[in-house]
Amino acid sequence: MDGTAHILLSRLQFALTTMFHITWAATSVGLSAFLVVMEGLWLKTGDDAYYHHTRFWGKLFLLNFAVGVVSGVPLEFQFGTNWGPFAAATGGFFGNVLGFETVLAFMLEAGFLGIMLFGWQRVSRQVHFFATGMVALGASLSAFWIMVANSWMQTPAGGHWQAGRYVSTSFWGSLFSPDMPWGVSHMWVACLESTLFIVGGISAWYMVKNRQVEFFTRSLKVALVAAIIITPLQIYLGDGSGRSVYRTQPTKLAAIESLWYTNPPGQGAPFKLLTWPDEDKADNAWEFLRIPDGLSLLVTHTFTGRVQGLRDFPREDWPPILPTFYGFRVMAGIGFLFFFLMLWTVWGWRKGRLNPENIGQQKWLLYAWVAAIPLGILAIEAGWVTREVGRQPWVIYGLLRTADGASRLPAVTVGTSLFVYGAIYSILFIALMVFARRLIQRGPDLSRPVPGKTALGGGAWPWQ
Amino acid sequence: MAMMLPDIWFAIIGFILFLTVVSDGFDLGIGILSLFTQDENRRAILMGSIGPVWHANLTWLVVLGGLFFGAFPLAYGVIFSALYIPVLVMIFAMAFRGVSFDFREEARDKGPWNLAFGLGSLLATLAQGFAVGGFLSGLQMDGTTFAGGVWDWLNPFAALVALGLLFAYILLGAAYLIMKTQGEVQADSYRYAQVGAWSLLVLAVALVGWSVYKYPFLARKWFTWPEAALTSLPLLLAAVAFILLVRSLLTLRETAPFVWSLVLCALATLAVAASIHPYVILPTVTLTAAASPTPTLVTMLMVVSVILPVMLIYNGYQYRVFRGKTTGGYGGYEE
Repeated sequence: MDGTAHILLSRLQFALTTMFHITWAATSVGLSAFLVVMEGLWLKTGDDAYYHHTRFWGKLFLLNFAVGVVSGVPLEFQFGTNWGPFAAATGGFFGNVLGFETVLAFMLEAGFLGIMLFGWQRVSRQVHFFATGMVALGASLSAFWIMVANSWMQTPAGGHWQAGRYVSTSFWGSLFSPDMPWGVSHMWVACLESTLFIVGGISAWYMVKNRQVEFFTRSLKVALVAAIIITPLQIYLGDGSGRSVYRTQPTKLAAIESLWYTNPPGQGAPFKLLTWPDEDKADNAWEFLRIPDGLSLLVTHTFTGRVQGLRDFPREDWPPILPTFYGFRVMAGIGFLFFFLMLWTVWGWRKGRLNPENIGQQKWLLYAWVAAIPLGILAIEAGWVTREVGRQPWVIYGLLRTADGASRLPAVTVGTSLFVYGAIYSILFIALMVFARRLIQRGPDLSRPVPGKTALGGGAWPWQ
Repeated sequence: MAMMLPDIWFAIIGFILFLTVVSDGFDLGIGILSLFTQDENRRAILMGSIGPVWHANLTWLVVLGGLFFGAFPLAYGVIFSALYIPVLVMIFAMAFRGVSFDFREEARDKGPWNLAFGLGSLLATLAQGFAVGGFLSGLQMDGTTFAGGVWDWLNPFAALVALGLLFAYILLGAAYLIMKTQGEVQADSYRYAQVGAWSLLVLAVALVGWSVYKYPFLARKWFTWPEAALTSLPLLLAAVAFILLVRSLLTLRETAPFVWSLVLCALATLAVAASIHPYVILPTVTLTAAASPTPTLVTMLMVVSVILPVMLIYNGYQYRVFRGKTTGGYGGYEE
C-alpha cells in the first residue's frame, strides 16, 4: 500500500457500479420507447395483440427498471462519497446538471411509472398512453443529461478554472461542449439499438421454439424496421464520434489506435485491426492486418491527414492503451455485425420469408438474432470502457487528474464497499436473469382482459 | 439577491428534505412494520399500498442528492465522504428493499424477498438516521477538507437521532396504513402509530435537550426574537400538532393522523434547518462558503422554481389515481 490504493479502489468501484447500471439504464431507455410504439399501435389499429405486447414487454421492463433504479442511486451519491474533491471542484456545472437530471428527467419517469404499471383500469387509454410516453421521455432525458455531464468531462467548455474550482460562466456553453452532440446521440441510439436486438432476439427465440409465431412476428418486424434506420445511423454517429475524439482528445485517439508515431507530412497514419501495445518500448509488440493510410482516412477523411502518436505526449498523460484499443474494436465490430444482420433479415423479408407461416424455416437467421441478444449491451460496455479509460489519467480532460479528484478514505473501507457491491450486484444479476427467464418461458398472457375505453367511473381525461 | 441565493437554496433543499423524509419515510416505515407480520396476505396489503408510488417517493432522495450537489458542491463532497459508511449501508439496504417488490412477485419462495423488504427498510432507516445524526454531530474540519475519521458518525448523539428517525418512520408508515387500509391491518396500525408517536416524543425531548447542551449557540437562536420564530416556535407548534395527532388516533380518524404526522415532520424539519443556519457543515462551514458560483445558483433557481410545482402536480396526480383503500396484491390497487 503506497497510499494511493484507495484511488484505484474508488476507480474500480465506479467502473463496477457504472458498468452494472448502464445495462439496465440503456435497456430502460430502449424498452420504454418500444412500449410507447406498441401501445401507440394498439390505440391506432385497435388490434389487441399490441396491447398484449405492451403488457408482456412491460413486465420485462419492470424487472429491468427495478434493478436500474437501485443501481442508479449509488452513482449519484458516489460523487460525494468517493470523489469529494471532484464534486467540490465541479459542482458548479457537473452537479448542476445532475440536479437537472433528477428534476427534469428521473422524477418524470418515476412520477408516471405507477400509472403505467398499475393504472390500466384506473385511467383511460389516452391517459395511460400519456403516462407511458412520460416514462419513456423521462428515461431518454435521463440519458441526455447524464451524457451532457459526461461529455463536459471529456471536453470541458463554457467556463474556466478559478481558485481551485470550475466556474461555468455560460451554462449553454458548458452544455453544448464539443463532445456533447456526439456523446448524447451516440449513446442514446446505442440504447435503442441494443434494446431492439434484445426484443428481436427474444421474439426470434419464440419462433425457434415454434411458440406464438404470429404474435412475435409483429415485435420482430417492429425491431427490424427500427434496425433499418438505426444500424446505419449508429455507424454514421460512431464515425462522427471518432472524429470528434480526434479533434478534442488526441491522447485518447492515439490510445484507441495504439498509435505511437505521428505520421510525417505527406504520409498517412495506418489502421491496425489488432495489435499488442508495449508501453515500456513505446511501440507495438506486433500488429495484425495493417491498412496503410487507413487511420488518416478514418479520422481526417484524407489520405495523409496528421494523426498524433503517443510519443508526442508525456508518458504521465497516456491512458491505459490495451482496454481502450480493444474496447473500441469490440464496440465497432458489433456495430457492423448488427448492420449486416439487418441487411440479411431485410433480404429475407423482401423474398417473403418472414411471414408467420414460413419464418420458422429461417433457422440460421433466427439463431443469429438470438445470439445477438447480449451483443448490444456488450458493445455499450466496451464503448464505455473506450470512452472512460481513454480519458485517463484525467477525470476532467486536461484540467483535473483522476487521482486529485478522489476522496481520502482508508483503502480498507473502499475495498470493503467494493466487495459488497460485487456481492450484491451478483445476487441482483442472478435473480433478475432467473426471473426474466421464467417470464419469457411463461410467455405472454393473451387471455388477460383488455381495459375499456375509459377509466372506471370516469371519462377519458382526468378532469371529466 | 446574489447574497440571498445560498439561503434560498438552503430553503429549497430543506423543502425537498421534508418531502424525502415523509414520502420515502412512510415507505420505509411500512417496510419495518412488515417485519411484524407472518401473514402473506397482510404483507401483500402492506407492500401493495405503496406499490405504485414508492419509486416516485424514493426519487425525492435522488432529487435531494442532485440539487444538493449542484447548489453546495463543497458540502456534498465533504459530508458524503465523511459519512461514507452509513451512506453506503443505506444504499446497499435500499437496493434490497427496492428490488423486493418485483422480485417477490416473481419468486416461488417469497421468504428471501420478504426479508429484503423488511430488513432492507429497517437497515436503510437506521443507516439514514446515523448519517443524519453524524451530520448533526458536526464534522471535524481542516479548512475545507474533512479531518475526522470514517467512524466519527458512530456516536451516542447520532444513535439517538437514528432511533428518532426509526420511530418517526414507524409513525408515518402506520398513519399511511390507517388511511389506506381497513379491518385488522388498520386496527393494528392505530396501535403502531401510538407506539411510534410516544417513542418519538420521548426521543425528541431528549434530542432537544442534548442539542442545547452540545451547541451553546442554540440557546441564543431559540430564545431570542426574531430567530425564535423559525426555531423554537415550530417546536412549540409541534407539541400542539402532537396533541392533535394523538387525539386523532384515539378518535379513530382515518386521514387526520397522517396529516398531523406530516405537520410534525414539516415543523421538525423547519426547526432543525433554521437551527443549523447559516452553517451547512456544522460547526464551521457556512452556506455561502460551500455554495456553487452565483451563475450556477441562478440557472438552477430559474429551472427548479418552474419545474418543482410541475413535479408536485404530477406526483399528486399519481396519488390521486391510486386514491382509496388498497385491495392488496401486486400493485396494490384493483387494476
